[in-house]
Amino acid sequence: MNRLLPAWVGLVPLVLVLIVWQLAVPAASPNFPPPLAWWRSLLAMAQAGVLLPAVFETLWTFLAGLAIAIVAGFGLGVLIGTVRQVRDWSALILEFMRALPPPVVVPIAVLMMGFAPAMKLTVIAITAAWPILLNTVAGVQAVPPLLSDVGRSMHMPWHERVLRIVVPATVPALLVGVRVAVALAIVITLLIEIFTSLPGIGVLMVQGQRNYNSAQVFGLLGLVGVLAYCLTIVFALIEGLVLSRWPPRVARR
Amino acid sequence: MTGRQWASGIGGLLVCLALWQVLVGSGFVEYDLLPSPWTIAGGLATMVTEPAFAVEVGHTLAATLIGWLAAVLAGTGLGAVLGTSPLARRYCLASIEVLRPLPAVAFVPVALLLFGFSLQMELLVIVAPALWPALVNTMEGFAGVPQRLTDVAATFHLKRSTRLLRVYLPAAAPAVVVGMRLSLSLALVMAVVAEMVGNPEGLGYALVREQQALHPDLMFGYVLVIGLLGMLLNGLLVWGSRLALPGLFRRPVARWDSA
Repeated sequence: MNRLLPAWVGLVPLVLVLIVWQLAVPAASPNFPPPLAWWRSLLAMAQAGVLLPAVFETLWTFLAGLAIAIVAGFGLGVLIGTVRQVRDWSALILEFMRALPPPVVVPIAVLMMGFAPAMKLTVIAITAAWPILLNTVAGVQAVPPLLSDVGRSMHMPWHERVLRIVVPATVPALLVGVRVAVALAIVITLLIEIFTSLPGIGVLMVQGQRNYNSAQVFGLLGLVGVLAYCLTIVFALIEGLVLSRWPPRVARR
Repeated sequence: MTGRQWASGIGGLLVCLALWQVLVGSGFVEYDLLPSPWTIAGGLATMVTEPAFAVEVGHTLAATLIGWLAAVLAGTGLGAVLGTSPLARRYCLASIEVLRPLPAVAFVPVALLLFGFSLQMELLVIVAPALWPALVNTMEGFAGVPQRLTDVAATFHLKRSTRLLRVYLPAAAPAVVVGMRLSLSLALVMAVVAEMVGNPEGLGYALVREQQALHPDLMFGYVLVIGLLGMLLNGLLVWGSRLALPGLFRRPVARWDSA
């Protein structure tokens, strides 16, 4: 928790930089507009009615893509982790896919699916599923042998062994994967918007840049930073909450 | 990996490629813009012989390496200061935690605004995110040096420089190397991103160019090249750090480490 919500004194350098920036730079600076100009630019966009729909669109795309990624990544990860044959046969394919920079998926998807909303979700789901899948596979393989032996000696059928032993034991590994996936999904969501000009915060940034409206670009950069920080905190809180009650404790006899 | 596992790994790859080839080649799956592996191989063969290809690879490689070096130098330097000084940590950690999640792509419009279509623009987009893994890992490595070691250094009244070089650095080296590795893969990703939506040069731009020209075979060829470049860079770094720090990788490393 100490690393999550650090003491406020740690914010001093950041606040100092912003204050110095505000005081030292003229308000009309073409390249480095002062922070208050960012704020005014954000307010102007909000009053024009373009900011909130863009923020909503970006957040929705991010959450929907991430949700698909979690389901698909965890499901495939459990399958690959539990069945040795699948693991061996897919090992090299996974190894190459892991080395591939996620952004290259964007042009491929645009070429094959066009500028459809489904394309956005597919790209986010595919790229964000990756860390979840790899961590789940690792988690499944790290299930203590004692647990799997218990399942076998109780002659549980395989689906019960997966549901009642493997899946619960893998949840902490899944959460680690989700943490990485959250950061990746934010990046990919913005990249799609910048690359394809589909509606969202990314497009507003590109428009600001093309119009040489530097206050708009910096303002949106700040907004994106705040959003990303809040999302990170929210997911870290969820992770902490789940882990503090995991594994579910059963009364010992 | 045992020989049998290698065999099934290669087998799985071949089966997938064969299935793809048969489905697309026979026209069973008709996606206008999905080429068969054989067509991609053909595209790759013509692509590699073009003189422009070497320039594109060279540009992306140069941007990645320059950006990575800058990020690693700044990151390990700052990380060492923060790691050895609890006071500096206390007064900076929160700022770092706020700035670190800032999505790297969001720097592209800012970088374009400041530098236009140039290598500097790419470097800003690369260095801004690639700094963090180097900084945070170095900081944690230096802060995690066992008390026993720092006590010994204090007992011997070692000079500050000696203490850094002979006590802290060796103890923190494994963490520093991890940070360098994460930074490197991030640097390549961000170089490709910067070229895709910013500076029209290098492999990232080539990828987008072929997509817009509706040359899926060449586009997939570039995807393959970018993936191989990533594997090569990571492999070289692991090999280099093994030479420099023997023993670092002696313990069996989990096969699915998330790097």
